[in-house]
Amino acid sequence: MVKILFINPVIREEDNPKHIPYGIALLAAIAINDGHQVQVYDANAWRKGDEVLEQVCAADDWDIIAIGGLTTAFGYIKKACKIVRRINPQTFILAGGGFLTSMPREIMDWMPEIDLGVVGEAFVTFPVVLRMFDEHKLIKIPLDFQKTLGIIYRKSNGTPVLNGVRPNIPNLDALPWPAWELFPLDIYFANSKLLFSEESFTSKRRLDVNGSLGCNLICRYCWHLGTTGDMVIEENEDGINDVRFTYGRNIRYHSPDYIVNMVQYLRDTYDIDFISFIDENMMTMDAYSKRTWIFDLCEAWIAAGLQPTCRSKGIPHDDSCKGVHWGGTSHATLHRKESLEHMFKAGCSQLVYGLESFDRDILKTLGKGSTREKNINSVAICQSAGINPIPNIIIGFPEETFESIRNTITALLELGIHAKPHFATAYPGSEWYYDYKDSIIEQYKGNLEAYIADLGDATKITATISHRFSAMELLGLQKIVELRDLRLLELTQIHWNEADQFMKPLATPKTSFNMVKKKIQAPLAKVVG
Amino acid sequence: MEEKNVLKGNFETKKKVILEENPQDNLTNSQQIAKDLKETVLQALGGSMVYVERTNLSWDGNSDKKGE
Repeated sequence: MVKILFINPVIREEDNPKHIPYGIALLAAIAINDGHQVQVYDANAWRKGDEVLEQVCAADDWDIIAIGGLTTAFGYIKKACKIVRRINPQTFILAGGGFLTSMPREIMDWMPEIDLGVVGEAFVTFPVVLRMFDEHKLIKIPLDFQKTLGIIYRKSNGTPVLNGVRPNIPNLDALPWPAWELFPLDIYFANSKLLFSEESFTSKRRLDVNGSLGCNLICRYCWHLGTTGDMVIEENEDGINDVRFTYGRNIRYHSPDYIVNMVQYLRDTYDIDFISFIDENMMTMDAYSKRTWIFDLCEAWIAAGLQPTCRSKGIPHDDSCKGVHWGGTSHATLHRKESLEHMFKAGCSQLVYGLESFDRDILKTLGKGSTREKNINSVAICQSAGINPIPNIIIGFPEETFESIRNTITALLELGIHAKPHFATAYPGSEWYYDYKDSIIEQYKGNLEAYIADLGDATKITATISHRFSAMELLGLQKIVELRDLRLLELTQIHWNEADQFMKPLATPKTSFNMVKKKIQAPLAKVVG
Repeated sequence: MEEKNVLKGNFETKKKVILEENPQDNLTNSQQIAKDLKETVLQALGGSMVYVERTNLSWDGNSDKKGE
């Protein structure tokens, strides 16, 4: 057996830890089921600094120290890998997750401490690598990663080699439940409240569930990183393997029974009162399943006795309510009133809608398939079902104009939405990232790594991808949208219009090897294992 | 005080990593008020709402003399 330490990196230091890392919890469960020795250090929950991390590294003779996360955790992961290598010079460092998959070659260059990276979906690749380690330890078979799919490894001279793509697993129900018990749940339960609805605001014990992997849409700012069948690996112009992201999709979702059995277990074991579905887009799954998945999930939820009493009795929610409320993600074009009403009945209290903008022209460029009318109507439809809509708003799109900002503010006023918009940000793995990579590098004076490190703070403006607006203007426009002040917007427009003739765009798009704007689907495995 | 091992797993590690008392966990009343004030002010920055870090900043004014 292999002795593994998982490290969950610190993420969003400005916020309390609210979410158990679903991927790490799943991989820990898979490793335990395969008979390995597993420990988890949840640095994000503990927030205890480098000295404690050093003690953790020295707590045992680890065979493998595994670390991973999204790009937003890059800064901590880089620092942690240096500490791990200093304390454990001989331990094999394994990395994975979105930060690595989005740019495996760059990450291996920037972080020489990493011995091997799992690229894309890890459910099969990770246990395969563990088995190779086990055999290496037990019968002294040399480690040879040449034929292992889904990894980037180092040759003896340190040069990274990216192998072929690992097919996605076809059946998500083959996965074990995440190993929640390995995480400091008291810390997460203390941060259960979410400011999304009365039900989530009064939650005392909330946990996350991921019911699906995938989304049919091709939003330019979104990334999937191999978990939705979107990634292929091919030789680039230099003749070496590199990742290519595409519009290909493998849509997969858990059966309603799998999800409900899991939630029942969580209620019986931890007395949870709220579930956050962290799915990319639950309504994609509803549409893909021909409108059966959500309906069946709600029916199973109610049949299992998870329905909150406020919904079964038709009374307002208060502290005496029993049952499990939940929230998730929706889409302005894919949701249906019938589905929403059924979701409300089963206990759904809030749905996040990535509305992004209320401007017709901007929406046409996003790949969301939504329109101004659909966005406006979605708020009313969701509310009429009794569910709280949580609309996300963005400014700073490539084609953003004063007119598009005005259209968004007008809609916010009409709909009664208060929002401090996010800035359009090109996260690695998204179409925008590859389109604007050169402009981003220019804005960071040639230092792409500095940009990646900057993405850890979600409130920060990083590189702009707007053709028209600079960072200075966008910071001002963010405030104007927050204030919903059309007078200030008009004054600003009058002032800047005169300066427009002297402006040159900061960001210009270009084509990239890493983004193929076609439906090239990655393979699905025929069997698991 | 309850001991907390920051490691959780399916076996006993050779060494435990027990959290030492963190000064942040045992703040005096006035320290707690100062901490709460900072957190609240930083969430509401704007207008006359400002926050100045209590660092050992000293300035003797010399840097301006160069321009005189």
